[in-house]
Amino acid sequence: MTHEEVSSMGTAAKLVTVTINGKKYGADEDEILLSVAVREKIAIPHLCYEASLDPYGACRLCMVEVVRHGKREMVTSCTTRVTDGLEVVTDGPEVVKHRSILFELYLAEAPKSEVIKAMAARYGVTKTRFLKKIDTTDSLGNKCILCGLCVRACNELMGAGAIGFVNRGPYTVVNTPYFEASRDCLGCGACVKVCPTNAVEMEDQKNERIMKSWSNTRVPLAQCDCCGRYYAPKALAATILARVTPSLKEEIARCCPECRGKLIAKKEILAKTGGAR
Amino acid sequence: MDEKTLDIIISRYEAPAGRLLGIMGEIQNQEGYIPRETLEILSVKLEVPLSQLYGLATFYSFFSLKPVGDHVITVCMGTACHVKGAVKILKALEEMLGIKSEASEDGKFSITTEDKKFTLEIARCFGACSMAPVLRVDGNLYGYATPENLPGILAEYGWERHEN
Ligand code: SF4
Ligand code: FES
Ligand code: FES
Repeated sequence: MTHEEVSSMGTAAKLVTVTINGKKYGADEDEILLSVAVREKIAIPHLCYEASLDPYGACRLCMVEVVRHGKREMVTSCTTRVTDGLEVVTDGPEVVKHRSILFELYLAEAPKSEVIKAMAARYGVTKTRFLKKIDTTDSLGNKCILCGLCVRACNELMGAGAIGFVNRGPYTVVNTPYFEASRDCLGCGACVKVCPTNAVEMEDQKNERIMKSWSNTRVPLAQCDCCGRYYAPKALAATILARVTPSLKEEIARCCPECRGKLIAKKEILAKTGGAR
Repeated sequence: MDEKTLDIIISRYEAPAGRLLGIMGEIQNQEGYIPRETLEILSVKLEVPLSQLYGLATFYSFFSLKPVGDHVITVCMGTACHVKGAVKILKALEEMLGIKSEASEDGKFSITTEDKKFTLEIARCFGACSMAPVLRVDGNLYGYATPENLPGILAEYGWERHEN
């Protein structure tokens, strides 16, 4: 999409032009550079960027070179907001060198992660000179890069705060306090969803959800009154129920989303047809 | 730690900055470690997730989650002390106290004797490198330590050689 086309759409934000690898692109002022690149299909490797959380810049993989006030500097594109006339180079020699080293480090830090292996290979890195960290007791299967997304999703998005960083330096891991089943865990699975390396393991067994990576925390699942299947963690359902209007509460409390849809549709049809079939 | 004492400590920390560390520091000083129940009550009182408090407690070497002995011996393993033979000091202390160091899960080094009289810990640089190798017993600093002068130092704290 060209700058003009975007302008004609009449968005409220001020439009700016940025140059990425010599080509000009339109963007909203203060848009995150990485998301501009993603939209324009310009490849920048990244692991810890999550649109629903504030930019944090933990993994350092999304480094690019920008020219600002005539000076070149390396920045993380997920924490850089675009300004008019910004010049960006995503694959200069310095960036490439930096990235390769990082990939080597990540291959050693999370040697079992297929995501990282595939990503590194795309950038030509298939081996690491660093000692691979293999711990057979690691609850995250030697896939965690300690980006903190799961911790932040649990805290900032869900307000549960069930998991956190434990220990320091090379001993750092993510887990529950005292490595015991968490009382704060809602079983929502946000951690599973945001983890860029698919490290977090969870499994539903009948009427229970087991957060395997988080000290095998077990949360009970709620059963649908209509179809009988177990569909969501009870604690999560309770948190959500507390936020909805009373008139909707009953349907939501009793049924799974699918049955709920059917139930509401049925009600409306009945109302419209006056109860006649 | 009883709740009243904890409340008094909490009341001393109004400002959010440094609050958690301040309160946890006082608990550590009074109890010699951070008891689990105290951390759990603190989490409820301050409305801070237990995971965050536990993170702090395991991050800083100053905090201990296990009860420590009557006297805490901290051996400096900083660069200067290391070069000046801190490893020998540590080995000698282990031998004197009859304990064996092993790599712990959390990377913290802290072992307590069976009779709970002494706890042996390590730290990085006390800032007293000119007297390396250095050790500290309950807040008292001892420089120019040698395996030979250790028995004299520990004797001040009630250490006796057990013949076995
Ligand atoms: S488990 Fe996943 S999301 Fe959590 S810190 Fe590790 S890599 Fe990041
Ligand atoms: S995506 Fe930018 S630092 Fe991780
Ligand atoms: S290295 Fe031991 S006091 Fe500095």
